[in-house]
Amino acid sequence: MSGHPTGIAAGVDVGTECVKAIVLNEAGRTLGRAVLPTRGYFQACAHEAFMAALDEAQLHAGDLVGVGATGFGMQCVPQATRTATESSCHALGAFHDVGHAMTLVNIGGRDPHVIKVDDAGRRIGAHGVRGCAVGIGSFMMFAARHLDVSPTRLDELASTAGSQAAVVSSYCSVFSGTEVLERLREGATREDVALGCMFSIAARVFEIGGFEAPVMISGGVAEYFPGVLRALESLSGLTVTPVPDPIYAGARGAALLMFREPRVSEGSATSGAAT
Amino acid sequence: MSEAGRAPSGTSSGRGHATSPRVELASTGALRQTMDAYYRSLGDAAERGAAPVAWCSSAGPVELLRAFGFAVHFPENHAAMLGASRTANRYLPLAHAQGYSPDVCSYLASDIGANLAGESPLSAFGLHGVPQPDVLVFNTNQCRDVRDWFEWYGRKWSVPVIGISSPRAVDEVTDADVEGVARQIESLVRPLEDVAATRLDGSRLAAAMSASRDGSRLWAACLETAAQRPAPFTFFDGTIHMGPAVVLRGTPEAAAYYAILFAELEQRVQQGVAAVPGERLRLYWDGMPIWGRLRALATTFADFKTTVVASTYCNSWIYAELDPADSFRSMARASLELFIARSEQPKERYIERMVAFYGADGVVFHDCRTCSSNSNARYGMPQRLAERAGIPTLVLDGDVNDLRCFSDDQSRTNIEGFVEQLTDARAAGRERSRR
Repeated sequence: MSGHPTGIAAGVDVGTECVKAIVLNEAGRTLGRAVLPTRGYFQACAHEAFMAALDEAQLHAGDLVGVGATGFGMQCVPQATRTATESSCHALGAFHDVGHAMTLVNIGGRDPHVIKVDDAGRRIGAHGVRGCAVGIGSFMMFAARHLDVSPTRLDELASTAGSQAAVVSSYCSVFSGTEVLERLREGATREDVALGCMFSIAARVFEIGGFEAPVMISGGVAEYFPGVLRALESLSGLTVTPVPDPIYAGARGAALLMFREPRVSEGSATSGAAT
Repeated sequence: MSEAGRAPSGTSSGRGHATSPRVELASTGALRQTMDAYYRSLGDAAERGAAPVAWCSSAGPVELLRAFGFAVHFPENHAAMLGASRTANRYLPLAHAQGYSPDVCSYLASDIGANLAGESPLSAFGLHGVPQPDVLVFNTNQCRDVRDWFEWYGRKWSVPVIGISSPRAVDEVTDADVEGVARQIESLVRPLEDVAATRLDGSRLAAAMSASRDGSRLWAACLETAAQRPAPFTFFDGTIHMGPAVVLRGTPEAAAYYAILFAELEQRVQQGVAAVPGERLRLYWDGMPIWGRLRALATTFADFKTTVVASTYCNSWIYAELDPADSFRSMARASLELFIARSEQPKERYIERMVAFYGADGVVFHDCRTCSSNSNARYGMPQRLAERAGIPTLVLDGDVNDLRCFSDDQSRTNIEGFVEQLTDARAAGRERSRR
């Protein structure tokens, strides 16, 4: 990194299913971005996504004011100048795009959160799903395999379901996987089971509590499984609106943080990382 | 319930740190001596016949047992040692295989499992396993599990299991409640006389009551030093230093140790020594410790310059109102007024008072998977405290001994987010006051 702010920053969100990287200018305009599946070493995935985003922006690492890292593998971003929690990055990323207080639902591959964001973009509360329901990404991959579709086609399958979603109700993501098999054995259609999976995720997230309008949603599930949004709307009775490019919200927030606090002071909740 | 002076060593997995920025207490040496002497006295009683042996639940009528001269073993303390040494998970499957569900108390299951394996951390003190009891005495004021736990040993060794079936979820403690429990405690006298082969000596009971009260008052004074800024003492310190309050309740040794600890804490207060250097945030802990992750959690909070100043847990061994002149009724009242025995409303009011007293910025609720009795996040209390009293709360999923129910990574993420939230809120408050 050069020692002089140039008005351009990067954010890397290392999730359990995907690594997202983004390069922004100070106005928040996207100059480059990349999303890659998380496979093998986190460091290698993070580096690859970071370099791909830089490449698209036609920039070099030295052009950046800083690199923010967030997500499950945030400690594994060699270029990071600081790390920050997922909830604060998603709050910042979402607020930048919508500009008002909200209930932000972040559903990624692992650990969904309901985040309260105030009218200054601050995260004023965040509650996670209970331990047993962690691992939504793995659950969706399992379901897609047994429903014999690509994970990205699961939502399409669900959208053609009849009026009755198959019941996939366990609060444990592993037991829910078993329920998928049971429903198929009982003769439920693949479409109804796919829809049941969407409702299963929505129910676990809704149980976290704290849903108050306006409700926005970020994270990979919002990007690839809009059926979960519809299920959340059905459960909460509220409109659930995705933020723009929901899968990039965390990376976007991590990058925006660089314009506020490119490095972090000792003992902060968020920690400094290798530069 | 105390890990009793044997500080867990090493660090945990996950994103734990190798060194702790916490400041250790010099009194720990005296604590070790006190606890060693206690464990060795248990060995003398059980293996050399120096005294009859009673087992007692941690909130049981120990003063009565002291009056009869029993050497007293506390299975909860033993189970906490299994948890802190991270051996509990080795033993849990043995008890599960005997029909004790993974959903029941992991203290109970790990302790029974260790017994089935023929192993005990007490071997470090020269004992050949847990001391075999002559009688087991429970009080269900804390949970039903203590009784089921003791009955397993009662069947194994064909020894009497007696106790008090105390009301639970007590709202306001009434005279009728006190009278009922007092009569139950009194009814233990005859069977204990039979086991101890001696009559109850009123003066020895009064002496045990006085010792219990004096030790409690000093322990309370130690805990209350954490109200100072910076706090000289943390919840994590408390879980180690509470050993004498649990296993030496009703003896002069407990008060003697807490006089030493209190003097050191007073000195820390006068010199402004912080248990967590650079303290920025203060939190209150509700529920059981996660014994196998004490060090890791203490380090995590300290990394964030956050002191967990006090807890409902460590404060549960304060029996400051025991009255030697009215032993049975004051023991009964203390038993009923215990935090764990109360209903939601008194618990909620108590936590609110403690948050104010200790100047805490928020509350961490440990939702202990196998201990519903001491998990207070399950009936909306965190939400009520947040909404009604404006107290920020965090719920951590975990367990007292079963580390299969705890995720290092998820917990650290949640703690990190909570600290960040409190820090941001404080900054926003400062910003508002500047404007």
